[in-house]
Amino acid sequence: MSLEIDVPYLDISDPSFSMHSEAVRNAREQHWYAKTNYGFAILRHEYVSILLKDTRLIQGSGKWPDHNGVHTGLFHDWWTTCLLVLEGDDHHRIRRMLNPAFSFRHIESYVPRCESLAVELVDAIIEKGEFEFVNDFAEPYATRVLCILTGIPESEWSTIARISSSIGLALGITIKNDLAEIEAALAELYGYAESLIADRQANPRDDLVTRLVDANRDGDSLSDDELRNALCLLIFGGMDTTRNQLGLGMQTMMRNPDQWELLAKHPELARNAVEEVMRSNPTTTWVTREAMVDFDWEDLHAPAGSTVHFFTQVSGNDPEAYPNPGIDITAERAPHYGFGGGMHHCLGHFVARMDMAIALRTLSQRMTNIRLNGQDEWMPDSGNTGPVRLPLAFDTR
Amino acid sequence: MHVYVDRAKCDNHGQCTFSAPTVFRLDDTGVLQFDENPDDSLRADVDEAADVCPMQAIMVND
Ligand code: HEM
Ligand code: HEM
Ligand code: SF4
Repeated sequence: MSLEIDVPYLDISDPSFSMHSEAVRNAREQHWYAKTNYGFAILRHEYVSILLKDTRLIQGSGKWPDHNGVHTGLFHDWWTTCLLVLEGDDHHRIRRMLNPAFSFRHIESYVPRCESLAVELVDAIIEKGEFEFVNDFAEPYATRVLCILTGIPESEWSTIARISSSIGLALGITIKNDLAEIEAALAELYGYAESLIADRQANPRDDLVTRLVDANRDGDSLSDDELRNALCLLIFGGMDTTRNQLGLGMQTMMRNPDQWELLAKHPELARNAVEEVMRSNPTTTWVTREAMVDFDWEDLHAPAGSTVHFFTQVSGNDPEAYPNPGIDITAERAPHYGFGGGMHHCLGHFVARMDMAIALRTLSQRMTNIRLNGQDEWMPDSGNTGPVRLPLAFDTR
Repeated sequence: MHVYVDRAKCDNHGQCTFSAPTVFRLDDTGVLQFDENPDDSLRADVDEAADVCPMQAIMVND
């Protein structure tokens, strides 16, 4: 006897598809996963928490360039050997040597510099009573934090931002047409990374790149190429994500002005406010995996090669895991998966948690009654999302 | 040395297993298992595991 289970279906490539839709909430209520036109979607927190860490589901985007006709060249070679797409021992070896430099202890030492950066950016606009959040705050902030972290001069931040958005073209389906621009940008970023590495090899300092240069475990260390590839990945992987997540944080706070006022009065809640924002309104609305083998879990049968999406925004608002899903920056919650999970868990999460807490805290100390001040513009709310343009007005406090 | 993991904090990401694979491992169901009293010669690796744990769930005492 076979038990028929009615599995919901979601068309995730429909331009009107939204993570915030009734259809998605209904699907989550109906069943723990949905079928989509692009593999499966895991919807409930309980299942995301377990399956996201299952090593039979691999990161899978390593084949992206090849799938799109890019089989050789600088970008192909970088992408197919970078930490994000490595699996098993190859991944663990590199991850192990990078992890200590990103530990809580080391990252906390960047707090004072991030604080003065946040104050500098707020000072520049506070008299005006209005600003465009992405251009005037989130982008320079996210980019300059990465400059501070890696030792690239902060004055070069706009070059780094441009390089990163050019490399970002590689994640679009027009990758092949854009290849010349992508490779030129990556070559430029390699130049920055190589000169940083050479400099710290000759003149060690108490900083992140020196720690990576010195990283040595059981007689093994990173080669110059591995080091360069890793530096480029963290610049690329840490910038747009932080910028977008900050914009989503403002959106959440503008919808919950009582929480903004609470944060202004209690700046010590800033770290928890970041968790609450990332739970309810993550930039990475889904994390993608590929079944390495035929994968069975309860009534889910995912043949080898099929795609499994973890809907982190949907699981972060699952009433089963979060009985009072409204925004409460004082709440202690089950963990969210806005930084992914398992062996590919975000390497830079202590950086992002620290710098976003400082940003929200600093903004809330100086601004109140924040409101939209013109036309805002957003990326689609699936995949990686965030504001493109967010013009705001505020009162000073 | 004594190792303690706060199960309320640990989310079974397994990053600790990279640092000290003979002390920490994920079992077949993906749940962290660990040696509570590893040899002192492993101290540096165990300290590293505690340092890099994304949930800061590991404590190490003499
Ligand atoms: C709010 C900001 C950020 C968000 C939302 C975010 C999110 C994520 C997510 C979801 C993953 C897992 C991807 C997957 O499993 O497919 C990831 C991986 C990664 N992130 Fe972040 N990230 C952020 C900031 C950063 C920063 C600041 C850095 C670097 C300083 C960074 C570096 C990385 C790297 C290198 C990986 C790959 C790790 C691996 O494969 O082992 N991220 N991030
Ligand atoms: C660390 C460097 C990262 C690289 C190199 C990278 C690479 C890629 C690539 C090649 C794709 C297209 C292939 C596919 O759809 O599977 C992709 C898609 C995606 N990546 Fe990443 N990723 C990185 C980090 C992240 C991070 C940190 C996040 C989350 C914050 C993220 C979220 C996504 C999402 C959501 C998609 C699907 C986008 C869509 O189709 O709309 N990636 N990524
Ligand atoms: S790294 Fe931390 S959260 Fe992950 S399994 Fe080890 S103790 Fe648990």
